[in-house]
Amino acid sequence: MGLSLGSADPLDERHLARLECLARRFEPALVSEHLSWSSVGARHANDLLPLPYTEEALDHVVERIERVQERLGRRILVENVSSYLEFAHSTLPEWEFVSEAARRSGCGLVLDVNNVWVNSVNHGFDARRYIAAIDPQAVGEIHLAGFERAGDLLIDTHGARVSAEVWALYRAALERIGARPTLIEWDTELPALDVLLDEARIARSHLASLERASAEMA
Amino acid sequence: MSACLRATQLELLEAILAAPGVVSSAGLEVYRRNVGASLASALAAAYPVVRRLVGESFFEEAAARYARANPSASGDLHDYGESLAAFLEVYEPARGLACLPDVARLEWACHQSHHAADAGPFDAAALRDVAADALGEVRFTLHPATHLMRSFHPIAAIWEANQPHRDGTPERLEGPDHVVVRRADGRVRVERVDPAEWTLLAAFAAGASFEAASAALAPGDAERVLAASLARLVRDAVICGFTLPAGNA
Repeated sequence: MGLSLGSADPLDERHLARLECLARRFEPALVSEHLSWSSVGARHANDLLPLPYTEEALDHVVERIERVQERLGRRILVENVSSYLEFAHSTLPEWEFVSEAARRSGCGLVLDVNNVWVNSVNHGFDARRYIAAIDPQAVGEIHLAGFERAGDLLIDTHGARVSAEVWALYRAALERIGARPTLIEWDTELPALDVLLDEARIARSHLASLERASAEMA
Repeated sequence: MSACLRATQLELLEAILAAPGVVSSAGLEVYRRNVGASLASALAAAYPVVRRLVGESFFEEAAARYARANPSASGDLHDYGESLAAFLEVYEPARGLACLPDVARLEWACHQSHHAADAGPFDAAALRDVAADALGEVRFTLHPATHLMRSFHPIAAIWEANQPHRDGTPERLEGPDHVVVRRADGRVRVERVDPAEWTLLAAFAAGASFEAASAALAPGDAERVLAASLARLVRDAVICGFTLPAGNA
């Protein structure tokens, strides 16, 4: 968090040094950051802001991912973010931007299925087409979460149950990509523990039925 | 490089941080609310005693005004809010509560203490190895989680009285406080200390040698504080190490 990977500012060397120190100390299996920006001109929004999906932004973010990977001495994963506005001068669909960023930099992806759904409603695209464009080999982890509706927009709040549409899209993603470690993000308006356990149970049952299906095919 | 990208980002961030009422869209409002909510909750988390002293709605309004004038300058929200005390000093509606800025400073010290790095244990064996005639040159190092505060107001008593399990009535209503903030077993502690002990620690914090720090105390005080405090300050990890100038090692 907080690296502001897509920012036009120079990479925050202090933040990067702290991240490097953290990764060295705890040797996590995966290190990831969002495919977005959160600061420019040394002012921070502390929020995940969308990039314009242009060749210029793609070149920039690929170079930044490469720098971070070199510095940490490991492949990182980048995660697609939810967004509430689009840039009129974007020239690429989001899924192409995300796939190309991974392909060119060699990084992996955290595929946030809820963010795909939220953006498909907010910006009017076909969520399944997005999933279909993602290279299965690149995906190292899947995220799920709940959203809230505010007028015409869906807002990624991490404060509700995963919706039926997102479970269906998760299922489609698993069928295309294969089983992946799945994280349900719920960090506001925390519910009772049994609600969380039930969400985890649903995710597990999707993963298990996928494994059964692939065993039968084999 | 990225000339257009930079312009796009500057424009969007400017629009998000703009004052309410400036032309907006539903999407922009989502980001404005997110940013406002993150900063407000960062301030509320760092300043629970200030919040309790002034009440929730007063705090919310003050925090919103502070946030508009002070955008975040770090990707880590734990860094946000350092200058709230300075803001409160000139915040007209808070004029009636003279102690408020110093209470805010104390809370910021607690916040920093909570998030400070760990330090290894004090190397007592290494101190024993220092030659007797070089002891005066020893420079003690304060633990990264140790902070010193002093105020003309009884800030330690006010802080203590406004912890969640307390009813808000301070044990002392006036008089200055010399305070050491330290961390023990992962918990931040606020302790009122003897002014002479505080002066000694402040000298250590400024990098003074043991000899110079002792000389900063009144003659009788020096021996009394050194005898009573030093072992405890090391045991409580207020002091976590020492250095010697090159040539004395």
